Amino acid sequence: MNAKPFLQIDRVIHEKGRLPIMSLLAASTSLSFTEMRDELGMTDGNLSMHIKTLQEAGFVSVTKSYSNQRPLTTCALTPAGRKAFADYIDLLEQIVRQAREAE
Amino acid sequence: MQTEWASENLQIIRTLMERSAVYRHALAPVMATIGLTGIGAAILEAFARMRTSGTFAAYWMIVGVICLAEAFFLTRRQAVKENEPFWSPPTKRVAQALSPAFFAGFVAGLVFLRFDPGNPRGAWLLVPGWMVLYGCALHAAGFFMPRGIKLFGWGFIVTGCVLGVGALFYTGQPSLSMANWAMGAFFGGSHWAYATYLFFTEKRRNAA
Repeated sequence: MNAKPFLQIDRVIHEKGRLPIMSLLAASTSLSFTEMRDELGMTDGNLSMHIKTLQEAGFVSVTKSYSNQRPLTTCALTPAGRKAFADYIDLLEQIVRQAREAE
Repeated sequence: MQTEWASENLQIIRTLMERSAVYRHALAPVMATIGLTGIGAAILEAFARMRTSGTFAAYWMIVGVICLAEAFFLTRRQAVKENEPFWSPPTKRVAQALSPAFFAGFVAGLVFLRFDPGNPRGAWLLVPGWMVLYGCALHAAGFFMPRGIKLFGWGFIVTGCVLGVGALFYTGQPSLSMANWAMGAFFGGSHWAYATYLFFTEKRRNAA
Protein backbone atom coordinates (compact mmCIF):
# COMPACT_ATOMS: atom_id res chain seq x y z
CA MET A 1 0.00 0.00 0.00
CA ASN A 2 1.14 3.52 -0.82
CA ALA A 3 2.21 5.22 2.43
CA LYS A 4 2.20 8.73 0.96
CA PRO A 5 -1.36 9.70 2.06
CA PHE A 6 -0.59 8.68 5.65
CA LEU A 7 2.43 10.97 5.72
CA GLN A 8 0.46 13.90 4.30
CA ILE A 9 -2.21 13.87 7.00
CA ASP A 10 -2.52 17.17 8.82
CA ARG A 11 -1.70 16.44 12.46
CA VAL A 12 -3.51 19.56 13.69
CA ILE A 13 -6.84 18.35 12.29
CA HIS A 14 -6.17 14.65 12.82
CA GLU A 15 -6.85 14.67 16.54
CA LYS A 16 -9.96 13.32 18.21
CA GLY A 17 -10.81 16.63 19.88
CA ARG A 18 -10.12 18.91 16.92
CA LEU A 19 -11.62 16.87 14.08
CA PRO A 20 -15.20 17.24 15.44
CA ILE A 21 -14.69 21.00 15.83
CA MET A 22 -13.52 21.30 12.23
CA SER A 23 -16.44 19.11 11.06
CA LEU A 24 -19.04 21.25 12.83
CA LEU A 25 -17.55 24.49 11.54
CA ALA A 26 -17.25 23.13 8.01
CA ALA A 27 -21.05 22.80 7.83
CA SER A 28 -21.78 26.32 9.11
CA THR A 29 -20.68 29.81 8.33
CA SER A 30 -20.01 30.28 12.06
CA LEU A 31 -20.96 28.73 15.39
CA SER A 32 -21.00 30.10 18.89
CA PHE A 33 -18.75 28.66 21.56
CA THR A 34 -21.75 27.39 23.56
CA GLU A 35 -23.30 25.70 20.53
CA MET A 36 -20.09 23.78 19.90
CA ARG A 37 -19.61 22.95 23.57
CA ASP A 38 -23.15 21.56 23.86
CA GLU A 39 -23.00 19.69 20.57
CA LEU A 40 -19.65 18.05 21.31
CA GLY A 41 -20.14 17.59 25.04
CA MET A 42 -16.74 19.11 25.78
CA THR A 43 -15.75 21.14 28.80
CA ASP A 44 -15.12 24.87 28.35
CA GLY A 45 -11.41 24.41 29.04
CA ASN A 46 -10.97 21.52 26.64
CA LEU A 47 -12.83 23.26 23.83
CA SER A 48 -10.89 26.52 24.40
CA MET A 49 -7.61 24.64 24.22
CA HIS A 50 -8.46 22.94 20.92
CA ILE A 51 -9.82 26.15 19.40
CA LYS A 52 -6.63 27.94 20.40
CA THR A 53 -4.55 25.27 18.63
CA LEU A 54 -6.70 25.56 15.50
CA GLN A 55 -6.51 29.35 15.69
CA GLU A 56 -2.71 29.25 15.95
CA ALA A 57 -2.60 26.98 12.91
CA GLY A 58 -4.65 29.60 11.04
CA PHE A 59 -7.59 27.24 10.54
CA VAL A 60 -10.15 28.95 12.78
CA SER A 61 -11.00 32.59 13.37
CA VAL A 62 -12.51 33.65 16.68
CA THR A 63 -14.73 36.71 17.00
CA LYS A 64 -15.68 38.19 20.34
CA SER A 65 -18.74 40.43 20.39
CA TYR A 66 -21.75 41.27 22.51
CA SER A 67 -25.29 40.02 22.05
CA ASN A 68 -27.94 41.57 24.30
CA GLN A 69 -25.20 42.94 26.54
CA ARG A 70 -23.71 39.48 27.04
CA PRO A 71 -20.36 38.38 25.59
CA LEU A 72 -20.68 36.17 22.54
CA THR A 73 -17.77 34.18 21.16
CA THR A 74 -18.19 32.82 17.65
CA CYS A 75 -15.84 30.65 15.63
CA ALA A 76 -15.56 30.12 11.90
CA LEU A 77 -13.25 28.30 9.53
CA THR A 78 -10.77 30.51 7.72
CA PRO A 79 -10.23 29.92 3.97
CA ALA A 80 -7.01 28.10 4.92
CA GLY A 81 -8.94 25.97 7.43
CA ARG A 82 -11.58 25.11 4.86
CA LYS A 83 -8.90 24.08 2.37
CA ALA A 84 -6.99 22.05 4.96
CA PHE A 85 -10.22 20.28 5.96
CA ALA A 86 -11.10 19.52 2.33
CA ASP A 87 -7.56 18.17 1.79
CA TYR A 88 -7.89 16.05 4.93
CA ILE A 89 -11.13 14.51 3.66
CA ASP A 90 -9.55 13.87 0.27
CA LEU A 91 -6.70 12.03 1.96
CA LEU A 92 -9.07 9.91 4.03
CA GLU A 93 -11.02 9.00 0.91
CA GLN A 94 -7.78 8.16 -0.85
CA ILE A 95 -6.77 5.86 2.03
CA VAL A 96 -10.17 4.12 2.02
CA ARG A 97 -10.02 3.72 -1.77
CA GLN A 98 -6.52 2.23 -1.62
CA ALA A 99 -7.59 -0.19 1.11
CA ARG A 100 -10.56 -1.36 -0.99
CA GLU A 101 -8.37 -1.83 -4.05
CA ALA A 102 -5.87 -3.84 -2.01
CA GLU A 103 -8.59 -6.24 -0.80
CA MET B 1 -7.83 -3.60 8.99
CA GLN B 2 -5.52 -0.72 9.85
CA THR B 3 -7.30 1.72 7.53
CA GLU B 4 -10.68 1.28 9.22
CA TRP B 5 -10.01 4.44 11.19
CA ALA B 6 -10.17 6.41 7.93
CA SER B 7 -13.71 5.15 7.21
CA GLU B 8 -14.68 5.79 10.82
CA ASN B 9 -13.33 9.35 10.68
CA LEU B 10 -15.23 10.01 7.46
CA GLN B 11 -18.40 8.73 9.13
CA ILE B 12 -17.80 10.97 12.17
CA ILE B 13 -17.27 13.97 9.89
CA ARG B 14 -20.47 13.23 7.95
CA THR B 15 -22.53 12.81 11.13
CA LEU B 16 -21.21 15.98 12.74
CA MET B 17 -21.69 18.04 9.59
CA GLU B 18 -25.29 16.86 9.41
CA ARG B 19 -25.85 17.58 13.10
CA SER B 20 -24.35 21.04 12.73
CA ALA B 21 -27.06 21.91 10.22
CA VAL B 22 -29.91 20.82 12.50
CA TYR B 23 -32.01 23.30 14.46
CA ARG B 24 -31.62 22.36 18.13
CA HIS B 25 -33.57 24.84 20.25
CA ALA B 26 -36.28 23.36 22.48
CA LEU B 27 -39.58 23.16 20.61
CA ALA B 28 -41.90 22.26 23.49
CA PRO B 29 -42.48 25.87 24.70
CA VAL B 30 -43.15 27.05 21.12
CA MET B 31 -45.56 24.18 20.41
CA ALA B 32 -47.37 24.65 23.76
CA THR B 33 -47.84 28.38 23.17
CA ILE B 34 -49.09 27.87 19.61
CA GLY B 35 -51.41 25.09 20.84
CA LEU B 36 -52.88 27.28 23.56
CA THR B 37 -53.29 30.18 21.13
CA GLY B 38 -55.11 27.93 18.64
CA ILE B 39 -57.45 26.48 21.26
CA GLY B 40 -58.02 29.92 22.79
CA ALA B 41 -58.76 31.41 19.37
CA ALA B 42 -61.36 28.70 18.68
CA ILE B 43 -63.07 29.36 22.02
CA LEU B 44 -62.99 33.13 21.43
CA GLU B 45 -64.47 32.69 17.96
CA ALA B 46 -67.29 30.62 19.42
CA PHE B 47 -68.37 33.76 21.30
CA ALA B 48 -67.68 36.18 18.43
CA ARG B 49 -69.64 34.11 15.88
CA MET B 50 -68.16 34.72 12.43
CA ARG B 51 -70.78 35.22 9.70
CA THR B 52 -68.86 34.69 6.47
CA SER B 53 -65.97 32.60 5.13
CA GLY B 54 -64.08 35.84 4.56
CA THR B 55 -64.20 36.89 8.21
CA PHE B 56 -63.30 33.30 9.17
CA ALA B 57 -60.24 33.46 6.89
CA ALA B 58 -59.25 36.90 8.21
CA TYR B 59 -59.66 35.80 11.83
CA TRP B 60 -57.52 32.68 11.46
CA MET B 61 -54.90 34.51 9.40
CA ILE B 62 -54.53 36.95 12.29
CA VAL B 63 -54.23 33.98 14.66
CA GLY B 64 -51.55 32.54 12.36
CA VAL B 65 -49.58 35.81 12.42
CA ILE B 66 -49.86 35.89 16.24
CA CYS B 67 -48.54 32.31 16.39
CA LEU B 68 -45.62 33.22 14.11
CA ALA B 69 -44.80 36.20 16.32
CA GLU B 70 -44.95 34.01 19.43
CA ALA B 71 -42.62 31.45 17.82
CA PHE B 72 -40.24 34.26 16.83
CA PHE B 73 -40.08 35.77 20.33
CA LEU B 74 -39.79 32.42 22.12
CA THR B 75 -37.01 31.26 19.80
CA ARG B 76 -35.21 34.57 20.16
CA ARG B 77 -35.54 34.43 23.94
CA GLN B 78 -34.06 30.93 24.01
CA ALA B 79 -31.15 32.01 21.83
CA VAL B 80 -30.43 35.00 24.09
CA LYS B 81 -30.72 32.84 27.20
CA GLU B 82 -28.29 30.28 25.79
CA ASN B 83 -25.94 33.00 24.62
CA GLU B 84 -26.28 31.98 20.98
CA PRO B 85 -27.00 34.06 17.88
CA PHE B 86 -30.72 34.07 17.03
CA TRP B 87 -30.44 34.20 13.26
CA SER B 88 -28.13 31.17 13.10
CA PRO B 89 -27.65 29.09 9.91
CA PRO B 90 -30.05 26.32 11.14
CA THR B 91 -32.72 28.93 12.02
CA LYS B 92 -32.29 30.47 8.57
CA ARG B 93 -32.69 27.07 6.91
CA VAL B 94 -35.85 26.30 8.90
CA ALA B 95 -37.32 29.72 8.04
CA GLN B 96 -36.50 29.23 4.37
CA ALA B 97 -38.07 25.76 4.37
CA LEU B 98 -41.26 27.03 6.01
CA SER B 99 -41.73 30.12 3.88
CA PRO B 100 -43.03 28.74 0.50
CA ALA B 101 -45.95 26.82 2.03
CA PHE B 102 -46.68 29.65 4.49
CA PHE B 103 -46.75 32.07 1.58
CA ALA B 104 -49.15 29.82 -0.37
CA GLY B 105 -51.41 29.54 2.70
CA PHE B 106 -51.37 33.31 3.12
CA VAL B 107 -52.32 33.83 -0.54
CA ALA B 108 -55.13 31.25 -0.21
CA GLY B 109 -56.46 33.23 2.77
CA LEU B 110 -56.24 36.50 0.83
CA VAL B 111 -58.19 34.94 -2.06
CA PHE B 112 -60.94 34.00 0.39
CA LEU B 113 -60.95 37.53 1.76
CA ARG B 114 -61.20 39.07 -1.70
CA PHE B 115 -63.67 36.59 -3.23
CA ASP B 116 -65.64 35.63 -0.16
CA PRO B 117 -67.89 32.76 -1.24
CA GLY B 118 -70.23 33.57 1.64
CA ASN B 119 -71.19 29.93 1.92
CA PRO B 120 -69.67 28.17 4.97
CA ARG B 121 -68.64 25.34 2.63
CA GLY B 122 -65.89 27.70 1.44
CA ALA B 123 -64.37 27.69 4.92
CA TRP B 124 -64.57 23.92 4.85
CA LEU B 125 -62.29 23.88 1.83
CA LEU B 126 -59.92 26.46 3.32
CA VAL B 127 -59.33 24.51 6.55
CA PRO B 128 -58.01 21.31 4.85
CA GLY B 129 -56.07 23.43 2.34
CA TRP B 130 -54.33 25.28 5.13
CA MET B 131 -53.70 22.05 6.99
CA VAL B 132 -52.07 20.38 3.98
CA LEU B 133 -49.91 23.46 3.32
CA TYR B 134 -48.94 23.72 6.98
CA GLY B 135 -48.05 20.01 6.96
CA CYS B 136 -45.89 20.54 3.86
CA ALA B 137 -44.15 23.47 5.58
CA LEU B 138 -43.40 21.37 8.68
CA HIS B 139 -42.23 18.45 6.55
CA ALA B 140 -39.85 20.71 4.62
CA ALA B 141 -38.53 22.21 7.86
CA GLY B 142 -38.17 18.67 9.23
CA PHE B 143 -35.07 18.19 7.07
CA PHE B 144 -33.33 20.69 9.36
CA MET B 145 -35.07 19.80 12.61
CA PRO B 146 -35.52 16.76 14.83
CA ARG B 147 -37.11 13.85 12.99
CA GLY B 148 -40.47 14.08 14.81
CA ILE B 149 -41.36 17.28 12.95
CA LYS B 150 -41.62 15.40 9.65
CA LEU B 151 -44.10 12.96 11.16
CA PHE B 152 -46.00 15.86 12.72
CA GLY B 153 -46.14 17.44 9.25
CA TRP B 154 -47.41 14.18 7.74
CA GLY B 155 -50.12 14.15 10.40
CA PHE B 156 -51.37 17.53 9.16
CA ILE B 157 -51.16 16.47 5.50
CA VAL B 158 -53.14 13.24 6.06
CA THR B 159 -55.73 14.91 8.32
CA GLY B 160 -56.10 17.78 5.83
CA CYS B 161 -56.65 15.35 2.95
CA VAL B 162 -59.20 13.33 4.94
CA LEU B 163 -61.03 16.51 5.97
CA GLY B 164 -60.96 17.85 2.40
CA VAL B 165 -62.35 14.67 0.88
CA GLY B 166 -64.90 14.46 3.70
CA ALA B 167 -65.98 18.06 3.04
CA LEU B 168 -66.46 17.34 -0.66
CA PHE B 169 -68.69 14.33 0.02
CA TYR B 170 -70.53 15.78 3.00
CA THR B 171 -74.16 16.18 1.97
CA GLY B 172 -75.32 18.18 5.01
CA GLN B 173 -74.91 21.92 5.51
CA PRO B 174 -71.52 22.57 7.11
CA SER B 175 -71.37 25.52 9.49
CA LEU B 176 -68.61 28.03 10.15
CA SER B 177 -68.76 26.99 13.76
CA MET B 178 -67.75 23.44 12.76
CA ALA B 179 -64.86 24.80 10.67
CA ASN B 180 -63.77 26.92 13.60
CA TRP B 181 -63.77 23.98 16.00
CA ALA B 182 -61.88 21.96 13.42
CA MET B 183 -59.17 24.64 13.45
CA GLY B 184 -59.14 24.69 17.24
CA ALA B 185 -58.91 20.91 17.50
CA PHE B 186 -56.58 20.07 14.62
CA PHE B 187 -54.36 23.14 14.78
CA GLY B 188 -54.46 24.10 18.45
CA GLY B 189 -55.08 20.64 19.89
CA SER B 190 -52.41 18.87 17.85
CA HIS B 191 -49.77 21.45 18.79
CA TRP B 192 -50.70 21.09 22.43
CA ALA B 193 -50.48 17.28 22.16
CA TYR B 194 -47.12 17.51 20.39
CA ALA B 195 -45.86 19.93 23.06
CA THR B 196 -46.86 17.43 25.76
CA TYR B 197 -44.98 14.67 23.91
CA LEU B 198 -41.91 16.91 23.51
CA PHE B 199 -42.03 17.97 27.13
CA PHE B 200 -41.40 14.39 28.19
CA THR B 201 -39.02 13.41 25.41
CA GLU B 202 -37.08 16.50 24.35
CA LYS B 203 -33.59 16.83 25.69
CA ARG B 204 -33.76 19.84 27.96
CA ARG B 205 -30.39 21.40 27.50
CA ASN B 206 -30.99 24.14 30.00
CA ALA B 207 -31.84 21.74 32.80
CA ALA B 208 -28.35 21.84 34.20
